[in-house]
Amino acid sequence: MLPKHTAQSVLDHALAQGADFADLFIERHQSQNLRTLLDQVENVQSGLDFGIGIRLVYGNKVLYGYTNDDRPEALNAVIDQLAAKDRRDPVTTATAFDFREFPNRHPARIALSQDLSLAEKVDFLRRADRAARAHNEAIGRTIGNCLQREQDVEIFTTEGLHTRDSRHYCRIAVTAVAMDGSRQATGSDNVGGLLGWELHSQQDPDRLGEEAARQAMVNLGAKACPSGHMPVVIGNGFGGVIFHEACGHLLETTSVARKASVFHDKLGEMIASPVVSAVDDGTLDNVWGSINIDDEGMETRKTQLIKDGQLTSFLVDRMGAQQTGYERTGSGRRESYRFAPASRMRNTFIEPGNDDLDDMVASMDRGIYAARMGGGSVQPGTGEFNFAVTEGYYVENGKVQYPVKAATLISTGPAVLREISMVGRDLALACGMCGSVSGAVPVTVGQPALKVDNILVGGNA
Amino acid sequence: MTDTRPYDTLLEKARDRGAEADLIIDHQQSLSLKARDGELEEQAVSDTRTLGLRVIKDERVGLAYSEARDEAALDQLLNQALVNAEFSKPDPEQQIPDNAQTLTSDDALLCPESHLTPEARIDLALYLERTLAGRDRIRNVPYNGVSERIGERQLLSTRGLNARHRSRTNSLFAYALAADGDITAMAGHGQTARTGEALNADDLIERVYADAIDLLAGKPVPSRHYDVIFDTEAQAGLLSAFMSALSAKAAKDGVNPWRDQLGQAVASADFNLTDEPDNTDGFGYRLFDAEGTACRTTPLIVNGELRTLLHNSATARHFGLETTGHAQRGPKSSLGVGAHQLTVTPGRATSADLTSGEYLLLTDLDGLHSGTNALTGDFSLGASGYLCRDGKRIQAVRGITVAANFFELLKRIAVIGDTAQWNWRRSVRMPTLRFSDVAISG
Repeated sequence: MLPKHTAQSVLDHALAQGADFADLFIERHQSQNLRTLLDQVENVQSGLDFGIGIRLVYGNKVLYGYTNDDRPEALNAVIDQLAAKDRRDPVTTATAFDFREFPNRHPARIALSQDLSLAEKVDFLRRADRAARAHNEAIGRTIGNCLQREQDVEIFTTEGLHTRDSRHYCRIAVTAVAMDGSRQATGSDNVGGLLGWELHSQQDPDRLGEEAARQAMVNLGAKACPSGHMPVVIGNGFGGVIFHEACGHLLETTSVARKASVFHDKLGEMIASPVVSAVDDGTLDNVWGSINIDDEGMETRKTQLIKDGQLTSFLVDRMGAQQTGYERTGSGRRESYRFAPASRMRNTFIEPGNDDLDDMVASMDRGIYAARMGGGSVQPGTGEFNFAVTEGYYVENGKVQYPVKAATLISTGPAVLREISMVGRDLALACGMCGSVSGAVPVTVGQPALKVDNILVGGNA
Repeated sequence: MTDTRPYDTLLEKARDRGAEADLIIDHQQSLSLKARDGELEEQAVSDTRTLGLRVIKDERVGLAYSEARDEAALDQLLNQALVNAEFSKPDPEQQIPDNAQTLTSDDALLCPESHLTPEARIDLALYLERTLAGRDRIRNVPYNGVSERIGERQLLSTRGLNARHRSRTNSLFAYALAADGDITAMAGHGQTARTGEALNADDLIERVYADAIDLLAGKPVPSRHYDVIFDTEAQAGLLSAFMSALSAKAAKDGVNPWRDQLGQAVASADFNLTDEPDNTDGFGYRLFDAEGTACRTTPLIVNGELRTLLHNSATARHFGLETTGHAQRGPKSSLGVGAHQLTVTPGRATSADLTSGEYLLLTDLDGLHSGTNALTGDFSLGASGYLCRDGKRIQAVRGITVAANFFELLKRIAVIGDTAQWNWRRSVRMPTLRFSDVAISG
């Protein structure tokens, strides 16, 4: 995307300002977003993002600039502006580029640049709408979204790395709104992957619509949630957001290097119940949070974060490695050329255990079965987190009693990891977007069903 | 000033192909700085332009955007928008407004010269981090920054509209991590001003330090219902999480809980909510909306009664009304509606009235993006703050949840304070409200 000689001259210019290291991240990103309301196309939007991010490193200091003007003089002007206060005699010289091609683990068959597939996408969402409304006549609205993206990136570094990657993303989401007089409730479901529009051939639009409708109907009949400290069984799949928030963010060197994580000095220590093992794996074929290479040009890998309760690794990007001494894990990610890379999660999940969901529910005298989780957030410095239950049930004497609404779970990462007492066999993954210092990146969360013995449930009963 | 000739040509080509169109040209320039351990850790500069084209052909709307601006990219932009329009449902209510006019915001007011040099900005970032980190029991200041952004939006249409808005925003923020043995607490705040010279790091340092240290001693309170006051930031965050209830677009789509409430009581009788885009003290000031309609003060809730929803020209046409000048659209998004600068009218309660007896002052709400349901009004959020009595803080509180239904809360506002304050981003202005009987879990 950027001529090699231009990249060379720009990086030479960066080193001439005395930088220790510099890299260029060139991005061309096509996207298409289709939105339907009931069986009608609400809008179709497509676009092209194009820009170049320039990073200069002086010691542990990062200078970052970006522009969508790819002329050499515009790129050099960004460097001049960045280096104005740090300019010094050159300390290193650039290495000649050696193009590296990494294996493409995630091929796309129907890429956005080759086929818009709009008519098929509209048909898919219409089928999901019909299925949702057929589920129950109280389903008064459906909203369908189909997002397809194609992100081409090229990376040049002063250490001689030159590489490229193409990432194809596709995600389909359906939301159903159930109405009964003045009461309304929503349900939603989505699927996605690191692949092209062929995603649809692996999916059943009827199932997607029915599942969204089923959740909406459950929530329409939900009662206020009891509150207080109690055991909670968290369902598989997106329930893994608990680990993502409670632990994953605290293992990123973005927090660890600043000592802004409660786990920054706990490597090798038991930080979780012995039944907990967890990984962050960027290599899973065509899975939403996977990558071939990270946004610093390193081939991705599988990283064992926790093994039998013991902290075994952090997630380490280039600057994190420089600041902490830990080996890079291929975790340097960013939303786009507008962000400097930072250590981020990929596909993060708790590995399967030996328990059954039914046994977990049966073991609660008074508690909540959180079948589906919504989003949440965490404060890395204290480990305090919160996340929302989007489909939950009150359990008494080991039996599910009734659905509950507006429940939030709050605790701290260190506390909840120690409170996990049972881990199921039914591992499932789910797509999400994770927002942090380097923007919003696609990630997968996941877990089997698990039981937390004691957590604060915020309810309105 | 952007050279608009290539864009005028683009709009002419759209017309030649039988479409009406409008084009957003956003130009953003920014400088941001972060410090760590007394050194500059990150410096970022940017200069980007994004084009957002909306075409309407045969009553069908097509959208496309591009960050490339050469002639081929502009042709591709038009082609994509026209292809997208072919698949959209006919939408006769969405039209390019017939508003041939030239509107230009006042640079002297919104984009005054800032005389703070880049070196002085770096010194400010270092001072903020170093001073706060040097305070007793502050372990570090992991999140901090000083930034300046200049944003320019130009809106052109085939109907002859040429509107331009340019503004400068300077801000600084800091989140400090306090530690006392194994107990940690984090608190943060920010400041916004037109020029860098107007920023005051010392004020920010004092506030963040006090909040972080106070929180160290925080503990839960027993689960029960309390009277609750949200501080300005928390109250602004909570309000904005439910403001789709004011959206005529959501009403048109059937997903607005207030869609049938016009003329009815939706809040306590002394509650008044207005959108004031013409208040130049705020950063939500707008001369025109995303369709080029002039913005004006709009009473939304008067004495507790819902008077109007927020409209663009399409929703207004749908409901047989006039637009209220609340069209919202970015270069990468479709036409919607949104408030510019919400303002709650102060009431009559003095500070003593507001703070009599026992209540919880909540200063931080966690999970506003996930623990709220804008459709039903239900929310359940992590919270921290203070247990107070007669205006005095008795105990710092953390590790609790607050849960209620926002629309029901609005109907039981116990007291409205007599002084309005801006949130730190200066986008919402409101007095303190006291709510009775709110469920707290600790």
